[in-house]
Amino acid sequence: MLVGLAILLVLALLPLARPSTYFLGFMLILFMYAALASSWNILGGFTGYLSFGHAAFFGLGAYTTALLLFYLKWSPFWTMPLGGLVAAVFAALVGYPCLRLRGPYFSLVTLILTLAVSIIILNAPWTKGAFGMFLPFPPVDIFTNHVIFYEVMLALMVLAALVARQIERSKLGMGLAAIRENEDVAQTLGVNVTWLKMEVFLISAFLTGMIGGIYSYYISYLHPSFVFDTLISINIVLMALFGGRLTWLGPLLGASILSVVNEILTLQVEAQLARIVFGLLLIGVIIFLPDGIMAAAAPFIRRLLGQSRRRLRPSSG
Amino acid sequence: MLYELVQSTVSGLLIGAAFAVLSVGFSLTWGVTQVLNIAHAAFALLAAYLGYFASSYFQVDPVLVLVVIVPLFFVLGVGIHQVLIKITAQRAHDLALSSMILTFGLAVVMENVMQVLWTPDPRVLKTSYTGKAIFVGPIAIATTHLISFVLAMLTIALLYVFVHHTLTGKAVRAVWQNPTGAALSGVNMGRVTNITYGIAVATAGIGGVVMSLIYTFDPSTDMVWLVYIFLVVILGGVGSVLGALLAGLIIGLTVGISGVFIPLVWVNLVLFLALILLLLLRPSGLLQR
Repeated sequence: MLVGLAILLVLALLPLARPSTYFLGFMLILFMYAALASSWNILGGFTGYLSFGHAAFFGLGAYTTALLLFYLKWSPFWTMPLGGLVAAVFAALVGYPCLRLRGPYFSLVTLILTLAVSIIILNAPWTKGAFGMFLPFPPVDIFTNHVIFYEVMLALMVLAALVARQIERSKLGMGLAAIRENEDVAQTLGVNVTWLKMEVFLISAFLTGMIGGIYSYYISYLHPSFVFDTLISINIVLMALFGGRLTWLGPLLGASILSVVNEILTLQVEAQLARIVFGLLLIGVIIFLPDGIMAAAAPFIRRLLGQSRRRLRPSSG
Repeated sequence: MLYELVQSTVSGLLIGAAFAVLSVGFSLTWGVTQVLNIAHAAFALLAAYLGYFASSYFQVDPVLVLVVIVPLFFVLGVGIHQVLIKITAQRAHDLALSSMILTFGLAVVMENVMQVLWTPDPRVLKTSYTGKAIFVGPIAIATTHLISFVLAMLTIALLYVFVHHTLTGKAVRAVWQNPTGAALSGVNMGRVTNITYGIAVATAGIGGVVMSLIYTFDPSTDMVWLVYIFLVVILGGVGSVLGALLAGLIIGLTVGISGVFIPLVWVNLVLFLALILLLLLRPSGLLQR
């Protein structure tokens, strides 16, 4: 707990050291992916429903705040919950039928939903479609601009991680674990599986939509192919799986490590090679670390978090 | 209007056969081994490139290149099974999901290697018969469409005969229907899965060449093809050869005919929505009993 707070404090105060805008930009995308992977993991990790379509929620959130900014001049900093809300409403519309599908069928339907939403946004008249939308910058200098987005993304990451952590330790989390292990048995034992799945689907979509809502303001030029990208969905899945999808800490770890790896490879070699290594990592994780690096690193992390171990796992004692 | 309708029905059917041959192998591996091979379309794309280079550099017809591609891809399929899928099957809690992620990784690697080697430029296959057509009354049939149709139907027919009328094929079907029962009856599981993968990836190769006769392609086209594969397999039912053929033809027709009435950009949306609806109403496939 203390270690976590200390890391958080250092991260929050980091802009005081006046790092380069490049570094801030890199860190805030890292936070974004950590937040996305955490939000995804509530559904994909805890519940075992692997969504390959979280880019749909991300993109819907991004377009919601972008449209409000573009037409009404409302700042995304205030409207980002609306972005989350739109994503959650969409999740509510598709959730009930989709969540009846299991295993690969659920993954397929989420993947294809993203493609469908992307086509609609691309061809809708008020989104400027394939031309994309230019959004105004926040009225501050470029460094302050980066600092603001840095802090907001950090806050979103903390929010997503806290929500995931809270769910993991709650009665809800136990219900989700029961669904993951054996949904039929869980239902027989009186777990309201339909409602629990819906609940986490909505929470996951809401968080993802909010993150998308800020992202569109940060990149300031929005095109459907930027936010409804299958690669975003897949990156999220990879990061969560790489880190370990059974705990709230796993996705944060996975997103941090893979973001750094990706950045180094892209800078030092080239983007294509980074993607090839990404693909190889995906293969390697499935073969060598089916439970993610959290499972491999658990003893070390437990020592790091030392004194709070007993509080970490109330049910195991 | 009527003319357009007949014309697009004909070309829709021809294209549909290509979708079927592209998808049938994916359906087999899913049915027999519970593995969703996302890289299936990437293998097809690889074959499309091999055919393209053979025809543009050595003036060899891409259809003839299949003589090399089919055995090569058979070996490749067996290799993928031996090296990657087997280990995953031993370690994974949920093979369908793990294999989906594993083969997605494989697809990403293949896609980007192709991009590095052969640039992201879109490719158009030019054969001696490209741009020519046969006229049946007023209806024009592009020669490339006709050749791809014949090739596709031939492959599917051979596959059907193999699966339903040979002993090995019957073993494959037995494993699909009940793996434990098949193993108890003395079916050599390792051999059957190896053959399934070999055949699946070999048909992906044929599918890729067939698709390249009809469509332009670039290193990221496999994701588009993958959506067609999903459509065909889910409509036709997992593991069914005839189901894949029927579903392919239906989807080809849908693409062809809806193209007459609505703008092209919305055709894909119609397909996607149809697939989503189908998944929700009948996840086991429309054509499955």
